This record gives sequence, structure tokens and C-alpha cells, in this order.
Amino acid sequence: MDLDHETSVIEEAERRGRTDLWPFWRRVYAQGDPLPRFTPPESRPAYRFDEGEPLPDEYRGLLLKMLRHEGERAGNKSFLGFMATCLDLAEAIFPDAESKLIKAEYLAEELKHAIMFHRLAVGLERDFALKDVPYAHYTFHLPRETWADDAFFHFFVDLNGAFHARDWRESSYVPLAKMSATVERDELGHSEMGYHFLQRIYEERRGRVLVQHLLGKWYPAALDMFGRSGSPNAPKFVHWGLKSVGNAEIRDAYKAYVDRKLVALGLDLPDERKNRRFL
Amino acid sequence: MSDIVEEIRTAYARVGITLDQPATYGTYYRLLCGKCGRMVGNVGDRLLPGMAATLVQEQFDLYASGLLGCPCGHQRETTRGLDTPRWEAAQPLGDEVSLWT
Repeated sequence: MDLDHETSVIEEAERRGRTDLWPFWRRVYAQGDPLPRFTPPESRPAYRFDEGEPLPDEYRGLLLKMLRHEGERAGNKSFLGFMATCLDLAEAIFPDAESKLIKAEYLAEELKHAIMFHRLAVGLERDFALKDVPYAHYTFHLPRETWADDAFFHFFVDLNGAFHARDWRESSYVPLAKMSATVERDELGHSEMGYHFLQRIYEERRGRVLVQHLLGKWYPAALDMFGRSGSPNAPKFVHWGLKSVGNAEIRDAYKAYVDRKLVALGLDLPDERKNRRFL
Repeated sequence: MSDIVEEIRTAYARVGITLDQPATYGTYYRLLCGKCGRMVGNVGDRLLPGMAATLVQEQFDLYASGLLGCPCGHQRETTRGLDTPRWEAAQPLGDEVSLWT
């Protein structure tokens, strides 16, 4: 079986999962590119490394750091554990059968990413492929006690992934650049899935109270996920072509995007500095 | 048992929620109703110090009004005993039927 055939089998399986709603990215991308392109400094060297080529030590270290943080790897049992928490929630607190099925499609798509990142890890450093890396950021550990919590998680956290994947289109690491469009599109779709659920919940009076309250929990965490504005590693990532801009710039663009959608929903935005841990 | 896990356990015990055994490789825990044992959510063990108590405290009104917690009503009843005036102030939402909450 050749690679093209394997790919077509996966694509066919995905096509069969399509509904009026799923995948959520379809309607968004039909209107154009939803996420901003970040412009790197003109003075930046034009590095480009493909799988199997020797990598400078600092470059390899930064790339591995980025991939550890990303986490979606088949060999990362903490990622699989996190997916299990999503299954647990879907089984325990699902509001209706359609929502449960949508969540199953989400999980299937994240597992597809886990295979893609597994291949990238094997091509980069074989020992890394089976390395367990628990999610370090507190956002991945916030309690989820209602479908609205879960919806916020997807709206914010998967969108964070989409913003980074958008930037990987320009990555100096060729295997990452190649898979970036698929990951970006899917993660944007997962964020839209969360937004869809928030819209549904917000239609009810009780839901409006719940969503406005929980926004105060998730908003600062979402902004904190981009790290400190003055991170000493950020210029190194930019120099090597692994990122185009620093933490503050990508967070600002993300904040503008989410603020627009939250206001459209009818929510009052929290103070952006309230309850922040990483400014 | 890490200090953070103990913080989480203590914070949730106050509103009638029990922390289960680790569900996934020691990183995530199910939250169970302290009365009937039903799963009401989950939480990870990398919250920052002090965060669990703050989060649960800030969600008091949601437990009090039944927007969070078990359908059996245990957290709603538990919070009533913790701060009755605040509990009563959280009641206007009443018991409206809801698909999502």
C-alpha cells in the first residue's frame, strides 16, 4: 500500500464524517483565510531544514521545545490521557446525542494530528517519539464541570493551536510547514465547534449567566497561554525561522480575534489584566 | 500526593465534591458528587498554587443556583450552609429547565 493510497483512505473516512455542521472549518474558510499572517523581521536569515538534514544544536533544542509544548503526539501518553478526559466529559455530561457525536469527530481529528506529529517526531529524533510530556500550562488543567467549560476550552485553546499552526506555514522546518495547513484548518474548526456550543448555551437565560461567569475563568488563561511578552527564547525562535513574531504580537492578534467573537455573542469582556499570571 | 492535588481536594470538599483517584497517568482527576458519586467534571494537577480555592470560591453562585454541580442537588444544598445570604442572592435563576446547564 503506497502513501497516496493511505492518504486517500483517511480523506475518504473524513468525508464520510461530514454533516451540516462538521467539519466546522468549512464555512469559515469558504469566506477566505480567517487568521492573520505574521510578518517576520526583514533582517532574519532564511534558514530551511528538511527531515534528515543536520540541525544546529540551538535549532534542534528550540524545535523540540516547541513540539514538547505542542504535545499532540501518538507516543505522548499524557496527550492520550488528556483525550481520555475529553471522552470522560462527553460520556458524563453530554447535552444531547448530536453534541456527543460532534465531540467524537473532534477526538478522531485530534488523533489524526497525533499520527502526523508522531511521524514528524520520528523524523526528528527517534527517542522523542515515545517521550511522555505532561501538559505544563495550567490552562490544560483547569476544572471542566459543564459543557460550557468544555466549549470555552475548545474555543480558546484550539484557537491558540490554530494561530501557531498558521505561523508554521512559514516555518523553516519543512516537515512542519508541510502539515501546517491541515493542522491550522482543523484546529480552527475545533475552536468553531466550541463557539457553536457557546452560542447554543447562550440562547438560554441560565446559559447566559453561566457563560458570562465562566468567561472570567477561561479568558485570562487563554491569554496566558502565549507566555510572557519578554520571553528570552522568543527572539531565538524568530531568528531560526521557527516563529515569525514574539509572544506579545501573536497574543495581540489572538485577543483581537476572540474579543470580536465574544462581543458578537453578547458577552462583556473581562479586564485583560485581571487574573493574569504571565504578562 | 502533591500539594496542589491536596489543595484541589480541600477546595472541592468544601462544596461537596470529591476528588477521585487519578484517571490518566496521575495527571487528571475526576470530580465526583460527594453524595451520589456521579461524575461532575474533571481537573488536572498542574493548577498554580492557590488557584483551586479561588476558582471554587468564585463559582459559589453557580453551585448555589444549580448551574454547576450534580443533578441530585448536593452542591446546591452544601453551599446553602456555607453562606446563606449569598446563596439566597444566587437563587433568582430558579429551576428553569435547561438542556445545557
